[in-house]
Amino acid sequence: MSFFSKLFRRRRYDDLNVSIREHIAERADELMADGMPRAEAEQTARREFGNVTLIEQKSREAWQWPKAESVGADIRFALRQLIKSPGFTVTAVVTLSLGIAVNATMFSMVSAFLLPHLPGRDPQSMVVVSSVDPDRQFQPDANPVSAPNYFAWGKQTRVFSAMAAADEYRTGSLSGKGQQPEAIPYAAVSPNYLSVFGVSPARGRDFLVGEDQPGRDHVVILSHGLWERRFGSDPSVVGRVVRLNREDYVVAGVMPADFRLLGFTPQLWTPLTLTAADATADARKNRFLDLFARLAPGVTLQQVRAHMNLLAQQAQQDFPAIEGHWGASVRMLPDFLQYNFGIRTALAVMMTVVGFVLLIACANVAGLLLTRAVGRQKELAIRMSLGATRVRVVRQLLTEGVVIALLGGGVGLFLAYMGIRVVQAGLSFNDAIADVKISLDSNVLIFAAVVSLVSAILSSVAPALKASRTEINTDLKSEGRGASSGRAHNRMRVFLVGGEIALALFLLIGSCLLIRGVYLLDHQKLGFNHDHLLTAGLVLDQARYADSPKQIQFVRGLVEQTRQIPGVEQTAVASDLPASGLSSVVFHIKGQPEARANEQKTTADAVVTPEYFQVAGVPLLHGRGFTERDDSAAPRVVLVNQEFVHKYFQDRDPLGKQVQLDTPGSPAAWSEIVGVVSDVKSYSEDPRIEPEVYEAYLQRPVASISLMLRSTVEPKSLAASLRQLIARIDPELPLLRVMSMDDVIEVQRNGNPLFTKLLGAFAVLALILSAIGIYGLIAYSVGQRTHEIGIRLALGAKASDISRMILREGLKVAGIGSAIGFALALPLPKLFESLFQGLILSAPGVYPLVVVVMLIVAFCATFGPAQRATHVDPTSALRNE
Amino acid sequence: MAKDSDRRDLFPGALELMILQSLRFRPMHGYALVKHIKQVSGDLLQVEEGSLYPALQRLLREGLLESEAGTSAKGRPTRIYRVTTPGLSHLEQEVSSFEKMFAGITRVLAVAKA
Repeated sequence: MSFFSKLFRRRRYDDLNVSIREHIAERADELMADGMPRAEAEQTARREFGNVTLIEQKSREAWQWPKAESVGADIRFALRQLIKSPGFTVTAVVTLSLGIAVNATMFSMVSAFLLPHLPGRDPQSMVVVSSVDPDRQFQPDANPVSAPNYFAWGKQTRVFSAMAAADEYRTGSLSGKGQQPEAIPYAAVSPNYLSVFGVSPARGRDFLVGEDQPGRDHVVILSHGLWERRFGSDPSVVGRVVRLNREDYVVAGVMPADFRLLGFTPQLWTPLTLTAADATADARKNRFLDLFARLAPGVTLQQVRAHMNLLAQQAQQDFPAIEGHWGASVRMLPDFLQYNFGIRTALAVMMTVVGFVLLIACANVAGLLLTRAVGRQKELAIRMSLGATRVRVVRQLLTEGVVIALLGGGVGLFLAYMGIRVVQAGLSFNDAIADVKISLDSNVLIFAAVVSLVSAILSSVAPALKASRTEINTDLKSEGRGASSGRAHNRMRVFLVGGEIALALFLLIGSCLLIRGVYLLDHQKLGFNHDHLLTAGLVLDQARYADSPKQIQFVRGLVEQTRQIPGVEQTAVASDLPASGLSSVVFHIKGQPEARANEQKTTADAVVTPEYFQVAGVPLLHGRGFTERDDSAAPRVVLVNQEFVHKYFQDRDPLGKQVQLDTPGSPAAWSEIVGVVSDVKSYSEDPRIEPEVYEAYLQRPVASISLMLRSTVEPKSLAASLRQLIARIDPELPLLRVMSMDDVIEVQRNGNPLFTKLLGAFAVLALILSAIGIYGLIAYSVGQRTHEIGIRLALGAKASDISRMILREGLKVAGIGSAIGFALALPLPKLFESLFQGLILSAPGVYPLVVVVMLIVAFCATFGPAQRATHVDPTSALRNE
Repeated sequence: MAKDSDRRDLFPGALELMILQSLRFRPMHGYALVKHIKQVSGDLLQVEEGSLYPALQRLLREGLLESEAGTSAKGRPTRIYRVTTPGLSHLEQEVSSFEKMFAGITRVLAVAKA
C-alpha cells in the first residue's frame, strides 16, 4: 500500500459504494428471478444487506488513521455550530484573542531578552566573575574587577580553563579624512577574549598573543554594525589604517553580525594593555574589568563560587584598606547578561499581569460556554438518548472550546504582530535595548500555541463536564417550568465572574500603585533647574590632552568660547551631569577615628568648574562657592551637599573641616570644606539623595567631561553652533550626546514610560473584560428569570423593585469579588518594594479608590440588563412557555 | 447486530482466511464471494455483509488484495477483488498455522473424549 494511494482514499470510498450498490442490485435480481415483485425484491435485498451507511462507515474505518477522521468530523461540526451563533463566536474569539495577543506580545520580549542566542561555543560553560560591593543598592554583585584581582584570579587554572578581561565601557573618537569625528563606545579586551568565547572574526584575524604589549597594541577588530555603517561593508577594510583617539590603528578583522552580548554594545575592540602600574596595590581601587571565563571541565558553579570566595577573603586580609568588604561573585554568562541588563523584574511583572488578563479572558469564555451549554441542554440530552456516550459529548464540547481557542490564537497572533511593532517602537530608549530585535519568532509561536490550548482547556473543561452531566429524562421532559430556573447553573458562573473581578481588582490596584510610583518619580523635584540647559559630553583623549594643564587649558578655553555663542548665558563643565548618577568614593574626615574596613564612609563625587552651581541652579547655602583662584596652586577645597552634612556631621557646621577622597588614580590630599550647597537627586529616576562632594575642576581635572550651557533660547537650537565651535577648536574631537537636559532626563526614565503605558493598558483591558463578564452574567440571569420577573410584576412588584433586585445581584458578585481582590492586593506594596527599588509605593488611598471604580463599572455593566428586566411584559413572559 | 456477526466468526482471521482462499483461484466481486462461500460450505457458513465489506477493505489496506473495475454477471459496474502475491504467501502461512492449531484442538478433544 503506497503512501500515495492513501491520499486518494476518497476513490476507495466511491469504489465501495459501487460494490455495495451492485451487491444489492444482484440480490434483488435473484429475488425477482424467484418471482418476487421488483419493489418488494429491492426492499428485501436492502433489508437483508443491512445498514448501508453503517457498513460503509465501518469499511472506511479500516483505512482511517485512528480516530483522526472522527475528530475531523467533530471540528467540522464545531465550526458549523459556531457559525450558527456568530454573536457568541465573535465575543469568545475576540476575548480570547486579546488575552492571547497580550501574552504573545510580552513573551516576544521574554524571547528576545531572556532567551537570547549567545554567541560562541558552549555558552553554558562560560561564567562572569564580578566584584561585590555590599554598600551598593543596585546590583551590588555585578561590579567590575580591578586589574590586580584579574591577574590573581586569571591564574586559577584549577577552576577556569581560560579567562579574558574586558574594559567594556570606553568611549573613543573615530576620525578619518573627510569624515566627521565620531564618538563610539568600544571595548579594550585581553587578546584571548574572542577565543575564550569560541568565536572568530568573520573577516581578517583575531588578536595575536602579545598584542597587548605597548607598541604592538594598535590593532582593532570592527563590529559588523560599524563595518557596515562607517566603512560601507568594504571587504578590503582589513589591513587598512583607521584613526582612533587620534592614533593610527590597523584593522585586524571584522566580527560576524551575530556576536552580541545583550547589554554590551561596543562598536570595536582593541587589545587591553595592562602595565606594571596596574599591578600595584593602588590599582586595586580602580575596578573596571569584566572577567569572562570558561569553566575547567567538570567544575561546577558552586565549586567556583566557593573558590572565588576564598580568593576574595585572601585579598581582604592582604589589603584591608582597599579590598575591605569587597567580595567576589560568579554567575553563568547568560544569567549575568540578563541580570546586568536589569529587565527581568519588569518582564516578570508584565508576564504575571498578562497571565492574569488571560485568566480573566478564559473565565469570560468559560461563562459564555456555560450559557451556551445550558441553552443546548436539550440537544445534548437528545444526542445522549440516541446513544452518544458521555466521553463523546465531552469530546465534542471540548473540540468546540479548542476551535474557539485556536481561532482566538490565530487572531491573537495577528494582534501580537502589531503589538510587537508598538513595543519595539517604544524600546528605543538606549542603544543596547534598541539593538535587540523583537519578533514573532518560533519561541513566541510555540508559546502562543501552548497558551491557546491551555486557555481552551481552562475555559471549556468545566462547562463541558457540567453539560455532559445532563440528566436525559429531566431535561427532555422539563420545559423550563421552574419559576426561577438556573440557580444551580448560575453558581459556577457567579464563581467565575467573582473570580474575574477579584483578579481584575488585584491587577488594577497593582498597576495603580506602580503607575503612581513612576509618576511621582517623573515629577519629583530634582533640586536644580533642568530647563533651558543644553548638554554634551566630551572625552579628552590621552594623545592630545595627556596631562592636567592641557585639560585645564582646554576646559577654560571651552567655557570662555561657548559663552560667546549667541543665546548662551553661562557655561559650566562637570565630570557628570546633575541627577545622572555619580561615582562613589571612599573618604576620610580629619580628626575623626578611622572606620573599620567594612564601615568605610562613602560619598558621591563630582568635579565641577566654578560656574556649575550658577548654571545648574543649585543654591549655595553656607560658605562660599568655587572661584577661578581655586586652582592647582591654591590649597585644595571642596563643597558638600546638605545630605553630606546631615549624615557625616550630624547637621553641625562642616566649614573648615578637612576631608580626603580616595579617588582612583590621583594622589591623596586633604581638602577643606568651604561651602554647603543644596541637595540634588542622585538620579532623576530615583528618589534617593546621596551625600555628595564637589571638587574643583581646576584642582583635579578629569578627561571625561560634560558641558552645560544655560541658554535664553530653546536649548536644542544651539546644538549646531556648539558643534561648529568644537570643530573649530579641535576638528578631531567628537561631541557626545548633544541634547537638552530635559531630554537627558527623559532618556534616563528608561523603560518607565513604556512600562507604565503597557501596565495601564493591561489593567484597563482587565477592567473591560471583567465588565463584560459581569454584564454577561447578569444579562443571562435576567433572561433566565424572565418567568420569575413576570410573576413578580403580575403580583404587583414595581419596576424599580425589579431593577433594584437585579442591580443588587450584580453588585453582590462585584462586592464579593472586590473584597477578595482587595485582600489579595494588600501585600502588593511590600512585594513591589522588594522588586523595584526607589519607587514610593505606599499609597493606601489607591485601594478604596480602585474598589469604587470597580463597583461603578460593575454598576454600569449591570444597569443595562436591570433596565431590560423592568420592561418584561408579565402576560407574554408567563405565556411564553 | 455487530456483536452477532462477531460471534459467527469462528476465530479472528477466519473470515479473511476464507476470503483469500476463495479468491485464490478466481477473482470475484462482493456478491459472488458471499454466494461462493455459502455454496462451498454447503450453507453451513453465511457471510454477513456487515463483516464482509470491512474485511475486504482491511485486506486491501494491508495489500493482500487488490481491486479493479469490472462488471458483474448482469453487466453492472462493480469491483473485482484479486489476491496479490503477498496475499498468497500470507494465506499459505495462515493456512499452515490454522492446520496446526486445528490438529492441536482435535487432539485435545480426542483426549477429552477418551
